[in-house]
Amino acid sequence: MKVQISSIRTIRSFGKTSLIAGSLALGLSSMAQAETFRIGITQNNVGVDSYQTTYEQAFEEAAEAADNVDAVVLDAGGDVARQISQVRDLIQQQVDVIIIWPTDGQAVVPAVKRAKDAGIPVVVTNSNIAEAGQPLIASFSGPNNIQQGAYAAEMMCDQLGGKGDIVQITGQPGYTTAIERQKGFEDRLPEVCPDVTILDSQPGDWNREKAQRTMEGFLTRYDNIDGVYAADDNMGVGALNAAKSEDRADEIIFIGATNFAVGYEAMERGEYHGSVYQSPAEDARNALNIAIAVAKGEEVEKMSYFDTPKITRENMDEFEKPVF
Amino acid sequence: MNRIVDLIKKQPIWIFVLVCIVFFSVSSPYFFDLNNFSNILVQASTIGLIALGMTFVMINGNIDLSVGATVALAASLAVGLQSELGIIGAVAVGLMSGIMIGALNGIIAWKTGVDAFIVTLGAMIGVRGLVFIYTDEQSFYAYDLAYSDFGASEIFSIPVLALIFILLTIVAHLILKYTIHGRNVFAVGGNRVAAKEAGIRVGPHMLINFILVGFLAALSGILLSTQMGASTPNLGRNYELWTITAVVLGGTRLTGGFGSIIGTLGGVLAIAILRNGMNLLQVPSFYVLIILGSILIIVLFIDKRFAEQQGQGVGA
Repeated sequence: MKVQISSIRTIRSFGKTSLIAGSLALGLSSMAQAETFRIGITQNNVGVDSYQTTYEQAFEEAAEAADNVDAVVLDAGGDVARQISQVRDLIQQQVDVIIIWPTDGQAVVPAVKRAKDAGIPVVVTNSNIAEAGQPLIASFSGPNNIQQGAYAAEMMCDQLGGKGDIVQITGQPGYTTAIERQKGFEDRLPEVCPDVTILDSQPGDWNREKAQRTMEGFLTRYDNIDGVYAADDNMGVGALNAAKSEDRADEIIFIGATNFAVGYEAMERGEYHGSVYQSPAEDARNALNIAIAVAKGEEVEKMSYFDTPKITRENMDEFEKPVF
Repeated sequence: MNRIVDLIKKQPIWIFVLVCIVFFSVSSPYFFDLNNFSNILVQASTIGLIALGMTFVMINGNIDLSVGATVALAASLAVGLQSELGIIGAVAVGLMSGIMIGALNGIIAWKTGVDAFIVTLGAMIGVRGLVFIYTDEQSFYAYDLAYSDFGASEIFSIPVLALIFILLTIVAHLILKYTIHGRNVFAVGGNRVAAKEAGIRVGPHMLINFILVGFLAALSGILLSTQMGASTPNLGRNYELWTITAVVLGGTRLTGGFGSIIGTLGGVLAIAILRNGMNLLQVPSFYVLIILGSILIIVLFIDKRFAEQQGQGVGA
C-alpha cells in the first residue's frame, strides 16, 4: 500500500549555526537544498537494554550526518503517560514528522490521532501500533517478522537436509511479533521442505527459563526431535540448555528468529545453528530515512521494512556480536 | 521590597516557577503560547490532582505511598469493566476502588496505630499486585471511542482535563483555608495531642483525608486513561514520589502542621513546566531530574533558614 503525504508544511528557518557549518563542510551542492526538516522522536525506554541504547546512538549519528535534519530526541522511559506528554510537546513545536517507538501499542493510538489531526505525520518505529491506529500513521518502519520466520524456516530446511521432525517454541501469546514469526515460519516451511513435520508448538513467552521448561516437556514426550525453532535466540538457548542436560543437544538443530548475544556465542561454540540478524543501528537509520522521505512529501511504503539477513555458522564472521 | 522578600520566604517555589517561565519564553519560540500553557496544565493535572489530596494528608503529618498503585487499579477497572458495565458504571467502580483503598489505609493507620508510611507502603505493594492479577499483565483498550474523546475534549478551547484540575484546586484551597475540617488539618498536624484534647476526633479526621487522596488518585488515573483510551498495568509507577516531591516543593512540611494548596500548585507547575520546557529545548530528561533534585533541596533549605527561624511555616 502506498501512502501520499499531501501537506508539507513550510519550514521556519532559524539560521541554525550547525546547519550553516554542515552546509559549508559539504560544499556548495548542499547549499541549494537549504530546507531543514525537524524530526521528533519519542523512544520507548532508552537504557533499559542495549538494543535501545544502540538504536538511540545510531539515530543521533545518522541525524547529525544528514545535513538537512534537525532532530528532537526524547525518551519516554517506558512510561506511556510521559510518551503522550512528549507527543503533545512535539506537536507544540510543530516538528515536521513525529517518530514514535510505542511504549504500548494500544495506549498511544489517541496521541497518534492528535498528531495527525494537527497535520503532523507519524512514523512508527520498531514495534507496530494496534490495528485501530493503522489508518492514522504514515508508515511503519521496523523488522519484517513474517520474513524473519520464513528465513528461519529456510535455514531449518537447509540444516536438516529436507527431512525431519521439529518442535516450535513461540513468543508470548497475543503479541503481534510472536504471531507473525510463527506464521512466517509455518507458511514457509511446507513450501521449502514438505517432509519436515512440526510435532508441537508451545509458548516460551520470550523467557529463557520458560523456554527451557517447555523444551524439557518436549524431550520427555518425543523420543526423536531433529530440530527446534524458537521465536528468538533467548528462548532458543533455553531450549539448547534443556537438551544439553538430557545429552540430546548433538542430535538437534537449533534455529532462532532473532539473533541475541547468547545465540551468537552458542553459535561460536558450534552448538547453535542459525538465526536472523537484526541490527538496532539499521533499525534507527531506516526510521530516520522514512521520516525524511515523509517530510519531503515523497511516497513511502506503509510497511517499510529494513533488511534482517540470515546468520549461520558459515557467515557469522560478517556480523558483529549483537549488543543485546 | 519587603513584600518581595516575604514572598520569597513564604512561597519560594513560585519564584522558581516565574523564573522558569521567563527562561523558557526567552529560549524557546514555542513556549510562550496559549496552547502550550493548556498543554502544561493537562500534563500537570495527573500528578496535580493527587497532590491536592496529598497536601491534606501530609499537613496531617501522614503520608500515602499507595497513590501510584491506586492510579493503575482505578484506570484498569474503569477501562476493563466497560464491556460489562458501560462507561459510567466502570468509572464509578474505578472511583470506588480509590475510596476503598483510602478508607482501608485510614482505618488501619487509625485503629492499629501503625505509622502511615508503613501502612501505605504495604498498600502500594499489595495494590500493585492486585493490578497485575486483575489485568493479567495486559493493557486494556477502551472500545468505545467516546471514552478517549472525553480525554481530548475542550470547552472554550481549554482542555476539559485542565479545567477539572483548576476547579478542584480552587475547591481544595477553599476547604483547607475556610472550613472547620481545613483548620483541623493544621491542628492535627501541628500537635496531635493538643488537637485531641481540644475535642477533634483525630482518627476519623485522618480517615477522611486518606479517603480524599484515594479518591483523587483514582480520579487522576481514570482521567489519565481517557488520554490514552487505554490502561496499562504499569501506569502510575513512581507517581507517589513525584506527588510527594511536588507537595514538598510547595512548602508542606513532612513533619506536618504547615502547607498550602497554593504552594502545592506551585510545586506541581514547577515539575510540569520544567519537563515541558526541557522537551521543547530538546534537553534529555535526565537533566530534569538533576535540576528537580537540586531545587527540592534549595527549597527546603530556604524553608529551614527563614521560615522555621520565625516559628512559622509557609502560610495557608
